[in-house]
Amino acid sequence: MSVPLLEIKDLHVQVEGKEILKGISLRVEKGQVHALMGPNGSGKSTLSNTLMGHPKYQVTQGQILYRGENLAGLKTDARARAGIFLAFQYPTSIPGVSVANFLRTAMKARFGEAFQPKEFRKTFKAAMAELGIDEGFATRYVNDGFSGGEKKRHEILQMKLLKPELAILDETDSGLDIDALRTVAEGINHLRGPELGILLITHYQRILNYVQPEAVHVLINGQIIRSGGKDLAHELEAKGYAPYEVLKEPPKEIVSK
Amino acid sequence: MDSVSPPLLVKWEIPSPEIIQAGVILTDLDSALRQFPQMIEEYLFQTGTPEGFPKFVALHQALWKQGLFCYVPDGVRVELPLRASTQIVSGAGAVFPHTLIVVGQGAEVTLIDERYSQGNGSSDAVVSDEMVEIFLKPGANLRYVHPQQWAPSVTELFTQRVLLDRDAQFFNVMVTLGGRLTKGNVETVLSGTGCRSELLGILFGSGSQHFDFHTLQDHQAKATFSDLLYKSALKDTAKAIYTGLIRIRKEAQKSDAYQANRNLLLSQGAQADSIPILEIEADDVRCTHGVAVGPIDPEQEFYLMSRGLPSTEAQRLIVEGFFEQVFKRIPLDSLREQLMAEVTNRLSSVHPSTSSG
Ligand SMILES: Nc1ncnc2c1ncn2[C@@H]1O[C@H](COP(=O)(O)OP(=O)(O)OP(=O)(O)O)[C@@H](O)[C@H]1O
Ligand SMILES: [Mg+2]
Repeated sequence: MSVPLLEIKDLHVQVEGKEILKGISLRVEKGQVHALMGPNGSGKSTLSNTLMGHPKYQVTQGQILYRGENLAGLKTDARARAGIFLAFQYPTSIPGVSVANFLRTAMKARFGEAFQPKEFRKTFKAAMAELGIDEGFATRYVNDGFSGGEKKRHEILQMKLLKPELAILDETDSGLDIDALRTVAEGINHLRGPELGILLITHYQRILNYVQPEAVHVLINGQIIRSGGKDLAHELEAKGYAPYEVLKEPPKEIVSK
Repeated sequence: MDSVSPPLLVKWEIPSPEIIQAGVILTDLDSALRQFPQMIEEYLFQTGTPEGFPKFVALHQALWKQGLFCYVPDGVRVELPLRASTQIVSGAGAVFPHTLIVVGQGAEVTLIDERYSQGNGSSDAVVSDEMVEIFLKPGANLRYVHPQQWAPSVTELFTQRVLLDRDAQFFNVMVTLGGRLTKGNVETVLSGTGCRSELLGILFGSGSQHFDFHTLQDHQAKATFSDLLYKSALKDTAKAIYTGLIRIRKEAQKSDAYQANRNLLLSQGAQADSIPILEIEADDVRCTHGVAVGPIDPEQEFYLMSRGLPSTEAQRLIVEGFFEQVFKRIPLDSLREQLMAEVTNRLSSVHPSTSSG
């Protein structure tokens, strides 16, 4: 058996002294898409920030293995260079730093010696065109005054250029109109392949029509209370989370395959 | 005061001979005094008495020596930027350079006027007590960029006083990077109806650098406009105090005055204080002021690090972005890049936190 791309074991996470994640286990193999659904405040973004190594999120128990390696000692930037990517739910604006300058710097960091500055313009322009992003975008400041949809496209643009092996997409489909949703979904599908694993956080099964998941997990109150196939997303959309809120004890172990 | 003066070198550059033919004068003040004595007499120390740092101003008036003279006749528009520099060569002591700029009616010019020390590592203790006087005649338009990169052993006492006549426009970028202590005073007197001034400033401090900056936006005439933005980034135990006074006199109805001071603290030991003062005597005016002091936003740093940038690289980008708003207004690409590189260089250099005393 090969080592899984991502293996989360009994993960407990605190933010400012308050426990938000209460024992999460999850396994994502290379090439798979796992959808993570759950009500507001259930801890989805907490999980994505923790995976990315945000200093505010404290792992108090359990571990995260990435390609078999414990991430505990690895800082955010090292995780990124190792191939982990987070598409933020609320991307931060950085006034004064142009998108082009930012992406050039990021690609240099990610690919090191292999980064070819001369190729950058071409690669960058092509990637923008594929995502239907206007060229004028290059000189705008990172996320500064971007519309909701522009922010999400910008996240996918970065994913495209940084070629991650594990992508966490935190509500990348929220706030998109139908055309934008299709473009973004196509962008994601375009990147799918045998090497890339995706954790796709969403509130809507609609995106799952475009990006077919191998598994769907339901996160409630910091615990994964159910895992299943794609149908689970339909069921959730029809019935809501109410039937699960009563479940106090999560199933003993969830192995998704 | 019995002072030894280290040699001061005043240099200037006129980009094309047509500019001289048009009657533009750019030369060192000593030569100007010999060649155009009446003109110098007419303007020297005639911008009025500065309100700030009276002792330094008095000392400067008594001991001024060397400097620069720039004169643009009425109606002459100079497209290419003029460049000048004042350099401290070596040796310890005091210098008192004086810069005199006169822009005639409807004339237009850009002057880039640098300050630096030769052999930047020089540890000779130098005091520079300087003054810049600027006269803008009706409808004159001056862009004045003043990058200061003195050696770390220089103490700087700096006064700039600008007199704007009717419909004149003044655009100013002050970039203060060098020196161990700067006491700066920038006074803009809006004395003619409809005149406008835009005042931008950048300070970068590291080690134990200390800045004490005062600005005055003195609105004396109707429908005048001033917009000031000073930004400082401070690391190690660097310190900046900013005092900004907006005065709108009774006669200055329908005027707009804006003032913003933003400070980025890059180390625990860095410190910034900001004191806005408003003296508004007119009732039909628009006036705002804003102050911000704080460290780098951890969410911005996290965002950049999540794309693989090490913390130092993330901070560099954030600081560059912080200054970009001002830097992008510097009208000469090569200078902008050189200054940006200098900021980056100072940002990454490690200071032994010493006080050379
Ligand atoms: N940085 C933080 N500081 C304080 N509280 C936090 C922080 N991050 C998360 N929390 C808290 O943790 C809980 C889970 O938040 P989280 O953002 O993970 O939810 P979510 O599942 O992503 O919700 P949504 O669907 O609204 O995005 C909330 O109660 C939230 O207030
Ligand atoms: Mg969330």
